[in-house]
Amino acid sequence: MPILVPDINLRIIAPALIVTVTAIVVLLGELVTPAERKRWLGYLSIAGLVVAAFAAFSLWGANASGFSGMVVADNFGLFLTLTIALSAALSILLSIPFIHAHEIDQGEYYVLLLASVAGMIVMATATDLIVIFLGLELLSLPLYILAAFQREDTRSLEAGIKYFLLGAFSSAFFLYGIALVFGATGTTNLAKIAASLAQSAGSPMLSIGVGLLMVGFAFKVALVPFHWWTPDVYDGAPTTVTAFMSVAVKAAAFGAFFRTFQFALPALALDWRAVAAVLAVLTMTLGNVAALLQSNVKRMLAYSSIAHAGYILIALVAMSANGLSSALFYLLAYTVTNLGAFGAVIALSDGARERLEIKDFAGAAREHPLVALALTICLLSLAGFPPFAGFVGKFLIFGAAVETGWAWLAVIGVLNSLVSVYFYLRPVVQMYMSEPAEGWSGIRVAPLVALALLIAVISVIALGVFPAPAIALAAGGLIR
Amino acid sequence: MSLLVFYLFAAIAVLAALGMVVLRNPVHSALSLALVFVSLAAMYVLLSAPFIAVAQVMIYAGAILILFVFVIMLLSPGTDQGVGALKAQRGLAILFGAALLVLLIAVLGGAVLPPTRGTFTPEAIAAEGDTQAVGALLFTNFLLPFEITSILLLVAIVGVIVLAKKRQSISKQ
Amino acid sequence: MINYLWLVPALPLAGAAINAIFSRKMPRWLVSVLGVGSVGLSFLVALAEFFTVLGAGAQGVFNVSIYSWIPVGNFKIDVAFLLDPLSALMLLGVTGVGFLIHVYSTGYMAEDESYGRFFTYLNLFVFSMLILVLGSNYLLMYVGWALVGLCSYLLISFWFTRPAAAAAGKKAFITTRIGDFGFGLGVILIFVTFGSLNFADVFARAPQMFQLGAPIITTITLLLFAGAVGKSAQLPLYVWLPDAMEGPTPVSALIHAATMVTAGVYMVARSHVLFSLAPFSSEVVAVIGAVTALFAATIALTQMDLKRVLAYSTISQLGYMFLGVGVAAYGAGIFHLMTHAFFKALLFLAAGSVMHAMNGVIDMRQLGGLRSKMRWTYITFFAAALAISGFPLFSGFFSKDEILAQAFESGHIILWAIGLLTAGLTAFYIFRAFFLTFHTQARWTEDEGRKTESRHSPSSVVGHPSFHPHESPASMTVPLAILAVLAVVAGFVGMPSVMGPNFLEGFFAPVFGEAAAAIPAGTEWMLIGASVAVGLIGIGVAYWFYIASPEIPVNLAAQFKGIYTLLWNKYYVDEFYSAVFVEPGRRLAMFLWQVIDVQVIDGFANGLGRAMASFSGALRGWQTGYARAYALLMLVGTVIVIGWLMLR
Repeated sequence: MPILVPDINLRIIAPALIVTVTAIVVLLGELVTPAERKRWLGYLSIAGLVVAAFAAFSLWGANASGFSGMVVADNFGLFLTLTIALSAALSILLSIPFIHAHEIDQGEYYVLLLASVAGMIVMATATDLIVIFLGLELLSLPLYILAAFQREDTRSLEAGIKYFLLGAFSSAFFLYGIALVFGATGTTNLAKIAASLAQSAGSPMLSIGVGLLMVGFAFKVALVPFHWWTPDVYDGAPTTVTAFMSVAVKAAAFGAFFRTFQFALPALALDWRAVAAVLAVLTMTLGNVAALLQSNVKRMLAYSSIAHAGYILIALVAMSANGLSSALFYLLAYTVTNLGAFGAVIALSDGARERLEIKDFAGAAREHPLVALALTICLLSLAGFPPFAGFVGKFLIFGAAVETGWAWLAVIGVLNSLVSVYFYLRPVVQMYMSEPAEGWSGIRVAPLVALALLIAVISVIALGVFPAPAIALAAGGLIR
Repeated sequence: MSLLVFYLFAAIAVLAALGMVVLRNPVHSALSLALVFVSLAAMYVLLSAPFIAVAQVMIYAGAILILFVFVIMLLSPGTDQGVGALKAQRGLAILFGAALLVLLIAVLGGAVLPPTRGTFTPEAIAAEGDTQAVGALLFTNFLLPFEITSILLLVAIVGVIVLAKKRQSISKQ
Repeated sequence: MINYLWLVPALPLAGAAINAIFSRKMPRWLVSVLGVGSVGLSFLVALAEFFTVLGAGAQGVFNVSIYSWIPVGNFKIDVAFLLDPLSALMLLGVTGVGFLIHVYSTGYMAEDESYGRFFTYLNLFVFSMLILVLGSNYLLMYVGWALVGLCSYLLISFWFTRPAAAAAGKKAFITTRIGDFGFGLGVILIFVTFGSLNFADVFARAPQMFQLGAPIITTITLLLFAGAVGKSAQLPLYVWLPDAMEGPTPVSALIHAATMVTAGVYMVARSHVLFSLAPFSSEVVAVIGAVTALFAATIALTQMDLKRVLAYSTISQLGYMFLGVGVAAYGAGIFHLMTHAFFKALLFLAAGSVMHAMNGVIDMRQLGGLRSKMRWTYITFFAAALAISGFPLFSGFFSKDEILAQAFESGHIILWAIGLLTAGLTAFYIFRAFFLTFHTQARWTEDEGRKTESRHSPSSVVGHPSFHPHESPASMTVPLAILAVLAVVAGFVGMPSVMGPNFLEGFFAPVFGEAAAAIPAGTEWMLIGASVAVGLIGIGVAYWFYIASPEIPVNLAAQFKGIYTLLWNKYYVDEFYSAVFVEPGRRLAMFLWQVIDVQVIDGFANGLGRAMASFSGALRGWQTGYARAYALLMLVGTVIVIGWLMLR
């Protein structure tokens, strides 16, 4: 029988493809790179990400779908692709000195990170539940290993195993959800699901499937009560991996989350919006309240990342064009802000000896005024303090919620962001208002870390003071 | 008739899966897993997909499981004694597992599948040939998932090596 | 000139940015030039803008869009400035008083090791305050609102090595955040109601969309006022302001007297269209203002710390301003805001000058007799004290009188009476502080050995300390002198109709509309007479207790030894005054201060923290670290989510 040649349009998947190819080149390069030149593999990875970002940019507005409707290059996916590439590039800048200091500078680190990026891009641009699932797995598997990358550190190993076990557990739910949705609609293609649901009412089977999909996404973006792994894994994983995970996974998983729920399942919105609203409230509140008591910066930022997932979920509940673009903007703002915060934490560490307890930051402002200033700006932005990126992001999301009649959700969000100021300011208070702890002398901030920090902080300020271009870009990122 | 066979293998699959989790001896667990794979293969046969059934037996029950057993024998980890803590855990786990089961049965028991049937009816598969249908699909509609899967496997291999191989920095010491 | 309006906030921001990054590598004089110069230039631009508005007369309302800030769908938020008589006057006050206080700080903070940090914060504060004042929409106002709070927090705990300073900063932050939440909700509600946050849109739509007393407008205005209560330290959220005196004195003068704390008044005046539509809210504003005025004044009577007296006095005077805007006398409220900025900043700076001279001592029991040592400080403090007491023809006389007259005329007789009583108490406590600090016998001894050293952090001396008090350097006394002139003459811009033209009322006409009908001359004179009389009585009683009574014993010592000892000892005088005059009042004041202030409100704030902590602790119990426990919890979550979706 004749085989119909599929619409192979490599241009559509060019960003993911370039990243994958870079990963393979780095993998081969690892074999021929002497130990003291490993950083070149990092530079190579960044170069690949830059090229991928250019590819994504050249596709802007193309709105092309390909591979039998499995994947699409629309502005929504491309915006996320750019965000993910940015977060990966900044993470690698932070990683190069970090993994050297911790004696884990193997080329595989970059390979795994790039593979994860490829998975994320796939997930963000996929329009078929099967591809979304594969993207999910491709992004997760390298992260399980990266979390355990500091093998000498049992906490790192524990983080990897925990993440893996629970990740597999949630994948099972997700996959079962796909099966049930397929059973109810006869397709895994998002557009066809939407078309099928537009004609016929939903069934209980579909409801269960949707619920299971939600659980799967909720696990990945760490919504309460599926967030339990987050503090432990973020705490145990190498700091640079935590930094990368906390932002990029959110961008990819939320991308697929929005695409699936807002565009394939609007027919069931009445049901899942209520669930999502409750999850958002739980997530924001528990994330912020739990963060109040943390004495460790990584755990604090882990709970903070949970809380931020809650804010972004509000945009999904709003289910409007503005909600979608506000989520995109928020993800970008959160990416640069959180990476800036992690970058500052890494900059303040003393070689392999990290300063992760908040009290370790005492007097940092006197020794490293600029790093302290950068951390302060990023933490204020996380807290939604004007005029930084986080403030504009929150304003957009809450505005979208208010517009669509979810003002009460916005009010809870505002209350939460007021509470969050208290724990975000604790490191600031330590840095500026305490006598310096010992051991500050002689610490030099690695140039690459400084560069990453500079990029992040400038972005945080620029996105806060002049957000209009980014907002326009995000508003152009509507699906279809 | 085929319904009867289905329920038989379904029951075996579920029981074997439970056994795999519950049994303490790792070799017993591995064998239960083999049983799960085989019963799944039987179901594929019932669904007119003999090629997938054979692949299932050869790859999972054959290659992968044998590897598991090898590893178990090489490491000889002994019998898992179970972990004592969290007594309340077991009761709650059973309770909520049962709740999930009840929910699923309540819904799926009465579920009506949509009348529209897919492209690959038993007749269509018989006309085209099972192996050909799978092959054609893999290289047309499912080309992208197929390729992503291959990257996924590559990553898995890299990951295993990263976690397992000796570190240069360690060997230097 | 309008095109250069952006320079007004931009200059201090540039100063803050440069000092933030480079101050450690720059010499002090350069830090000073940048810090002071940027605000000085900003003042000059603001002055030019002011005259532009003045020249434009009734057309003096300019909307200057700088750029499009958050353009999304239907709602576009611009970074846009609104320059009208109200904001022009505020600009002048913020940059002018700000400039003087910057100059003063170069002398006051000269010895401080964190000199650059101080000027960074101070410039940042000026920038933030200017954004708050200039913003032409509620969002920009909120930005300024939040930033001034942050700066205030940073500056209160500037001397963080002192636990009291760190605690005070925290308290300020926590307390004002409660109000900020109300303000944030108010802004959201405005957006929901009007679909816009621009002042122009909101104020144009409000009268068309809603009747007088519409519940939604009442809710909005009450929420906004909650923000004002926190920021402007009114009952019951005032508790942070007295503690905020732990910050450097220039900060107390600039932020906690002249500018930031008046932001609430400004905001209410700015939103006068909404408040006019909500009589109930206005009533609440007026009542809270009047009650706070009296309440804080009674507390000020019992305080011994000079800066605390001034802090409670600030709370009390802010109460007056709210009384003014609450009875729809918006121009009068802003007028008092302006005169208060002059005389209260002056009082604080003079107190700072005393601290500078006395090695950081601020307890009036260890002061006294400084009149001859610090001529300039003495004279300027005296001028400010007369101004705040409402002494005829001094600035406070005009502004306070106008508020009281308007309260009376609008039928709020009880609030007027409270205001009048407060005026008497004000005159008394400020002159009590004046006499105890500059007159009376010195309660310290001259120490020739400590001529140069000057510190501001309270030293731990107890008993009868020895100092070498000296007049402060010119960088400090010149700002005092300028402020003193302003505190004396500034009132003439708003004279009551029976005495002359009210220039200010006409100036504000483009914002607040035409002035209300003039008060009948007879009533007006009666009200003026009452205010003056009460003020003079207050001063007189203070004089009697703290100056006159020491002379009585000289004549009567021989005959009435018992009375002599009783009256000679100022302690007895205090207790006499307490027992005869305001013992019930004092009891009440102490009760309010110790029970309400220290226990109830602090307790609430602490209790909230504790509740949060225990909730957080309970959560931590779930975070066991066992993967299977997490899996179980996820299963529970899954069952709930699915069950819910199915049962709908």
